[in-house]
Amino acid sequence: MTPGEVLFDDVSKTFRLKGRRVRHETLKGALFSRRTRRKAASPVDFKALAGIDLKVRPGEVVALLGPNGSGKSTLLKLAGGIFRPTSGRVQTEGRITALIELGAGFHPEITGWENVIINGMLLGLSRREVEERMDDILEFAGIGDFIDRPVKTYSSGMYVRLGFAVAVAVDPDILLIDEVLAVGDEAFVARCLDRLARMRRRGVTMILVTHDLEMAGAFADRGIYLDHGRVVADGPTDQVVARYRGDVAGDRVELERVRSPVRVLEEGRRWGNGDVEILDVEIRADGRTVRLLPSGAAAEVRITYRVHRTVDDFVFGLAWHGADGTLVSGHNTDLDGLDGNRLEGRGQISCVYENVPLAAGAYTLDAAVHARDGLAYDYWCRAGELRVTAPVQWPGLWAPAHCWEGPHGRK
Amino acid sequence: MTHAVLLWRHRALVGVLVRRELAARYRASILGFFWSLLNPLLLLVVYAFVFTTIFQARFPGGEPYPLFLFAGLLPWMFFSGAVLDAAVTMVDNGPLLAKVMCPPEIFPAVTVLSHLVNHLLALPVLVGAMAVAALFGAHPFPWTIVFLPLALVPWVLTTAGVAAAVAAGAVHLRDLRDLVGHLLNLLFFSSPIIYSLEGLDLHPSLMAVLRLNPFAGLVEVYRDLAFGGRVPEFRTGLTALLVGLGIFLLGTWVFSRMRDTIVEAV
Repeated sequence: MTPGEVLFDDVSKTFRLKGRRVRHETLKGALFSRRTRRKAASPVDFKALAGIDLKVRPGEVVALLGPNGSGKSTLLKLAGGIFRPTSGRVQTEGRITALIELGAGFHPEITGWENVIINGMLLGLSRREVEERMDDILEFAGIGDFIDRPVKTYSSGMYVRLGFAVAVAVDPDILLIDEVLAVGDEAFVARCLDRLARMRRRGVTMILVTHDLEMAGAFADRGIYLDHGRVVADGPTDQVVARYRGDVAGDRVELERVRSPVRVLEEGRRWGNGDVEILDVEIRADGRTVRLLPSGAAAEVRITYRVHRTVDDFVFGLAWHGADGTLVSGHNTDLDGLDGNRLEGRGQISCVYENVPLAAGAYTLDAAVHARDGLAYDYWCRAGELRVTAPVQWPGLWAPAHCWEGPHGRK
Repeated sequence: MTHAVLLWRHRALVGVLVRRELAARYRASILGFFWSLLNPLLLLVVYAFVFTTIFQARFPGGEPYPLFLFAGLLPWMFFSGAVLDAAVTMVDNGPLLAKVMCPPEIFPAVTVLSHLVNHLLALPVLVGAMAVAALFGAHPFPWTIVFLPLALVPWVLTTAGVAAAVAAGAVHLRDLRDLVGHLLNLLFFSSPIIYSLEGLDLHPSLMAVLRLNPFAGLVEVYRDLAFGGRVPEFRTGLTALLVGLGIFLLGTWVFSRMRDTIVEAV
C-alpha cells in the first residue's frame, strides 16, 4: 500500500445498544466467551455498517453523505482506527489525523502551550516535532498571549482554532473530518477551508462527513452516499449530491404515489427514473450551436425532450459550473415562475440569456428535468460544455461590463 | 506482556500525560507541589496525635505505633488512590479515546505513575519522621530504608494490574465505581496495615486466611524495610514479587479482553 491509501474489505460494524441486562452480559461475556456474547446480545444489535468495500486512493477527497444514522461517522471512526470492525478488514497507510471534535482532550487546567504539546503527541508527533511546528500552530490559531494561560479561560472560538491548528500541523497523509467546520465563525471556516485546500494540493487524502452539500460539492472529488449502513451511490460528488438530494425529496412523497424508481442511466453522469428523457442540450448563439462564446454575448440553451410517461409536474433546470467545479449559477423553471403542471409528448424548451457575463474560461452545464419535489426524471451532468473567450483574462468567473470613474476621469 | 510493550512504546506520551496530571492537580492551589509533601506530613501529625495522646497505643516492644502505621499506610494510599482514580480515568478521558487514536492502555498507566510520583514525593516525610524518632531515641533508624525502591516493584506491578482491570471494568459496569471504594475498605482492614499479624491473637484458621491475602506480604516487605529495619526473608520477598507479577498479568489480561469495546462503551 502507498501512504494515503484507505482500504475497506467487506467491513461490517455492529453495536450492542446499551441496556441494563446487556451491560452485565457484556462484562461477563467479554471476559469468558465470545459466543455467548453474540447470542445473548442479538436482540439489541444495531448494524451500523454492512459489507462495505471501499478503496480510497492517495490524494483523493471523499465526501460521505447520507441521512443521520446512516453510518457515516462510524465509517470515519473505523478508518481512523478508533473503532474496530466487527468483521472484515480496514487497512490504512501513513499518518492519520482525525478532526472529529476540535480540541478534544484539551485539559482545562493547563496552558494552551502544554495542551498543544500533549495533543500533538497524541496525534503521533514527537515532542521535538511539535515544538518545531509551534510557530506555525500559533500563527494559525491567532490567540496571542492566551497560549500561556489555562485553556479554561479560552473562548469557544479560541478553543476550536487551537484544536484545528494542532490537528493540521501534524501533516498527515490521511485527514478525517467530521462536521468540524460546522462550528466557528465565517472567517475561521474560510481559513480552515483554505488550509484544507492547500493540504489537498499537497496530496493529502481526505474523508469528510458533512451535511453541507454545497461544501461537499465544491470540495470533494468523490461522493459516497450511505444509507442504513450500505453504500447507495459512489461517484463524482456532483452526481452523488444530486442523487442524494433527489432521494431526500423523493422520500417525502414515496407513500403518496408509485413512481418509477430512480436509476443511474449513465454511470456517474446521468440518472433519473426516465419518465422524461432529455434528448439533446444545445448552447446556441446567432442561430447555431456553439462551443465558443465571447464574454458578454447573447446565448440560448435549448433542451429537447421526450416524455415516456406523462408527468403531473415538472421543473427544467440548468446549472453552470466553472472548470474547478464551482457552481456559477443555477436556475430552473419553477423558481422563475413558469407553470409546469403537465408534460407529454416531445418538445423543446429554451433558456434565453440576453448576455453571458462570464469571465474567460471553460464551463460545463448540467441540465435536468425533475419533479417539483426534487425527484429526478432525467438529471444529466455535463450535458453541455462552453468555452468563453475574452480579450482580457480577468480572474474569477464573473466578467460584468464595467467602467471606472474618479478624479482621473472615466475609463 | 504486549501491554507492557505498548506502554513502553508510548513512554513519551505517558510521560507528558503524567506531568499534565500532576500539573493540573496542583495548578490552582497556592502551595502547589508542596501538597505532595504536606499531605503525608499532616496525616502523620494527626495519627501521631491521636495514637500517642488520645489512645496511647503502644506495642509490647515499645515501638512507636504512629510510625508503624505510617509505614504501612503510605504504600496503601498509593495503591488505593491509583485504583480509585483508575475507575474513572477512562470516562474522564473519553473525549480523547473517542476522537483521537490513542491506545486506551495508557490511561490507567498514567494514573498509576502519577500516584507513584506522589508517593515518591512523600518518602522524604517518612525518612524525616524516622530520623526524628531515632534522634529522640524512640526507635532506631531503619537503614534498610535505602532498599525501599525494591519493595516498590511488587507494589507498582500490583497497582498497575488492578488499575488496568478496574479501569476497563468500570467502563462497562459503571456500578464498579461505587463498589471499588468498599472493596478497597474491606481489603484495607483485612491487610496488616493498622495491625501486625504477629500481634494478633486469632484462631489459626482465620490467621491462615489473613495470611493468604496477597497484600499481607506486600505490606510486610515494605514495612520491614521502611520501619522494622530488617531485610525480609528471601522467600517473602520472592513471594511478593511473584504476587505482583501475577496480579499485573491477570489485570492486563482482563483489560485486553475488554479493550475493543472500551471506546464504544465510553
